[in-house]
Amino acid sequence: MIQTLRRLFLTLLFLSVSTPNLFASAEDEAAKESPIDIMGTVADHDYLKTPFGKIYLPRIFYWENEAGETSLDAFSNSKAAIASGSFEDVDGIVTPVAGSIIVDFSITSHLVFFWLSLGAVFIFTMFARGRYLKGVGRESEPKGAVQNLFEIFFVFIRDEVAKPNIDDRKHAKYVPYLFTVFMVIAFMNIFGLLPWAATATADITVTAVLAVCTFVITQFSGTKDHWGHVFWFPGVPLGVKFLMIPVELIGLFTKPFALAIRLFANMMSGKIMIIAILGLIFIFNDMYGTVAAYGVSIFSVVLTAVLYILKLFVSLLQAYIFTLLSAVFIGMAAESHEHDEEHYHAEHTA
Amino acid sequence: MEFAYLAAGLGAGIVAIGAALGIGMIGRAATESIARQPEASGDIRGAMILTAAFIEGVALFGAIICIILALK
Repeated sequence: MIQTLRRLFLTLLFLSVSTPNLFASAEDEAAKESPIDIMGTVADHDYLKTPFGKIYLPRIFYWENEAGETSLDAFSNSKAAIASGSFEDVDGIVTPVAGSIIVDFSITSHLVFFWLSLGAVFIFTMFARGRYLKGVGRESEPKGAVQNLFEIFFVFIRDEVAKPNIDDRKHAKYVPYLFTVFMVIAFMNIFGLLPWAATATADITVTAVLAVCTFVITQFSGTKDHWGHVFWFPGVPLGVKFLMIPVELIGLFTKPFALAIRLFANMMSGKIMIIAILGLIFIFNDMYGTVAAYGVSIFSVVLTAVLYILKLFVSLLQAYIFTLLSAVFIGMAAESHEHDEEHYHAEHTA
Repeated sequence: MEFAYLAAGLGAGIVAIGAALGIGMIGRAATESIARQPEASGDIRGAMILTAAFIEGVALFGAIICIILALK
């Protein structure tokens, strides 16, 4: 029995690495275009998709031409950039005919959604601020759905995220930032669920910007204890102190890096799953004809609906996790512990 | 011979095994704790979801590497 299994396993292993050779002629057919374009849909575009067509967005380049002069030029869309003569379309990317682009400041769909989310949070907060200034939430109870919603989120961030993790005397300084980050990420993730919308957080640059904000605030709130721990870790033998310097420095940078990648990967994987499962209908249509496509579409649409519920949950959860980890890192940097225990150890081991 | 697609597929599979094992262990510990002390079920549920999201984050790092492999 074991002999048979062993032989079967070895045969399968051998076949899995040798089949490309046996069916080499089939490789040409396999290189055909698939009917869905997963990466193209998730990537950044210079147009916004609407139910009525595409809206092309402005392109702003800071570029130098062949004479070496740099200039900042703005065009209303890609076609205008190409029509002006200094740019041409190379493989779908607008490049200068002669010269090179130093920085590409173009407006893209992910940037538009980032601004949209920031604007939505701003309007939401300003509306609540107006109400609180009139005393509606302070002397009497908060009135209305928007103000109550604002209060739910704000009190949640202040009491469950900021207070337990950051020093009691300093936590009030960081609540505005934590609230903003939470609402912005939640709005961006939820806007991405709408049809024709692009998920801004499914772009590593957007999440990297948010992680850099957290990193900057963490370092600016670092006390002397924090820097002491990074560069000269107390309470360990001298040789280990030198070893800890690169370890702590790397640890300083991996934490925001992990924040960015966690959010990006969760959002992008959700988007890719939806596109792949709905695209299964088109692939079946291509390979097996319309009847199979109709059959698969029942299964695909139901699975997509279930996945949408999961994505809604994951959107809010990832916003919460980003905020919670930001609070934990700020708290770790801003904490000042008593030194008595470490002096005690040093005196008694010497 | 193009092994990038094979590597991406195997990698994604192993990542899924790791994530499923980790989250399964959390689920077992969480349900056992809730069974021992049903009053704390709210706190335990919160901690379980949080930890599951962290493990999923690590699993998705691996999935992103596999996507990069498959696209290059």
